[in-house]
Amino acid sequence: MSADSPTQQIENDSLEDRLYTVRYDDPGDSHLDVKVPEVCAECETNDCVKVCPANVWREGEDGVPQIAYENCLECSSCRFACGYDNVVWEYPKTGGGMTFKHG
Amino acid sequence: MTPELDTETRAAPNYDDQFDAIVVGAGLAGSAAALTMASRGLEVLIVERGSSPGAKNVFGGVLYTPTIRELTEFDDAPLERYVAERRFSMLSRDDETAVSLRPGEWHREPHNDSYTVLRGEFDEWFAEQAVEAGATLVTETTVTGLVRERGRIVGVETDRPDGTIRAPYVVLAEGGNSLVSEGANLKPTESRENVAVAVKEVLEFPDREGVIEDRFRLVDDAGVSYHYFGEGAVGDAFGGGFIYTNEETVSVGVAYRIEDAVAADQSPEETLNAFKTHPAVAPLVRDARTVEYSAKTIPEGGAESVPDLVHDGGVIVGDAAGLVLNNGVHLEGTNMAVESGYHAARAIARAADRGRTDAAALRAYPEALEQSFVVQNLERYAWLMDAVEADRDLLFEELPRAFADAGTEYFRMDRQPKEVHADDAKDVVLDALGGWTGAAKLALRYRKVVT
Repeated sequence: MSADSPTQQIENDSLEDRLYTVRYDDPGDSHLDVKVPEVCAECETNDCVKVCPANVWREGEDGVPQIAYENCLECSSCRFACGYDNVVWEYPKTGGGMTFKHG
Repeated sequence: MTPELDTETRAAPNYDDQFDAIVVGAGLAGSAAALTMASRGLEVLIVERGSSPGAKNVFGGVLYTPTIRELTEFDDAPLERYVAERRFSMLSRDDETAVSLRPGEWHREPHNDSYTVLRGEFDEWFAEQAVEAGATLVTETTVTGLVRERGRIVGVETDRPDGTIRAPYVVLAEGGNSLVSEGANLKPTESRENVAVAVKEVLEFPDREGVIEDRFRLVDDAGVSYHYFGEGAVGDAFGGGFIYTNEETVSVGVAYRIEDAVAADQSPEETLNAFKTHPAVAPLVRDARTVEYSAKTIPEGGAESVPDLVHDGGVIVGDAAGLVLNNGVHLEGTNMAVESGYHAARAIARAADRGRTDAAALRAYPEALEQSFVVQNLERYAWLMDAVEADRDLLFEELPRAFADAGTEYFRMDRQPKEVHADDAKDVVLDALGGWTGAAKLALRYRKVVT
């Protein structure tokens, strides 16, 4: 018997594989944006990056996040997380964006 | 896109004034409202942005069905399993202390009106009930704003060509990400202390016949609802983890406040991974294949966050109205969504009989909601969030550890008499609680959770 608790090996899928389980129809352009890029450049907390469950928001070189909108699960947590109310969030147009099969 | 296709998929008939009411969103609240209004003879249009009802929807999830059962023929609803066991676990880093309930009554119809479902299938079925009652459903159409005349809501703007649709009443059932209601200044954007981020996986177990029944001790269509709290579930965040059994799959996830998520050193996805590797959780979810990964936000502001529910020509229902109860023991939203849609629809039907669209004529909706379990439950636990926030280290870290240590002491097998073990166990818990005085104060503070 070992001194530590037994740890079970869990094979978690990579985020890429996880996102691959969700159907995505590209509406053509991003439903996400930042209102004022300078606000992001000044922001030191990057709360949008920290909260995002899908790696949509990524730290950009100039301090303004890069937005991989095609990863988006449309949870909207970035919109609430941003302490500067600097996230532009629109519903993807005419049925575009992600589709959950199970939900 | 070819011009032919463009015309075929995008040309919309002129719906102006063809309908008495427009429902924004075909989730549980929206379809309940549409079904209720259509059953009372109103012409109803449901506008859904997904490719089908449920396409954009996700929850934990257990569906509570006392109201749905009253609204429609429920026997052919796509349910996964009835909830036969509820288990509440406190997880420290590597301990579990749990309470499990398996009443015999839950095995019998109507199974305490608690069923696991998957929303893609269920929401599509529920919207069909509204359509069968006479409502019209359009999908792949996004409501982008409200049409107002001298303040009164008189219709919606959509992203379709000539996409303005006018109707006397608009039911806003757009969910927690309520861009239309906020854009029309019907409610403020909720603060991140009051919104949870949730991530979930649906897991299947390829080539392992009967694995769900074996792991969760189930027969036939019995299922489980497992809730987990403490640092082993979501670190030092305010929230928890969950496991629900579906017919052929298992839903596993975590939900915790965005305020804590941005302060944490791990992403929601990493929090989910850590929860799944807890020694008490891993054996339940191992050797699985992820068939879906999803995320959502949950409005958890409680009674204080519920906005004005009626406006001239419009009402707000479901998650958009913040109607979610999370008091640690009860996690409910689906039943409140359906109940609110039902009461809003009845108020609209009565106002329509009198030819009125003003907010005063729709007051029957918030009045009925206040008399119902929805607002009564929210108000009953309105104090709780602040109390839990004040006690968070105690409740989520110190107590789970203390209970696990007390259990370890109480059942210690050595050559000491039991009295020594019992005293050691008691001391561990009292230490965490701050003695008998602390224990009494805590019991007093939280007695209303269960009594």
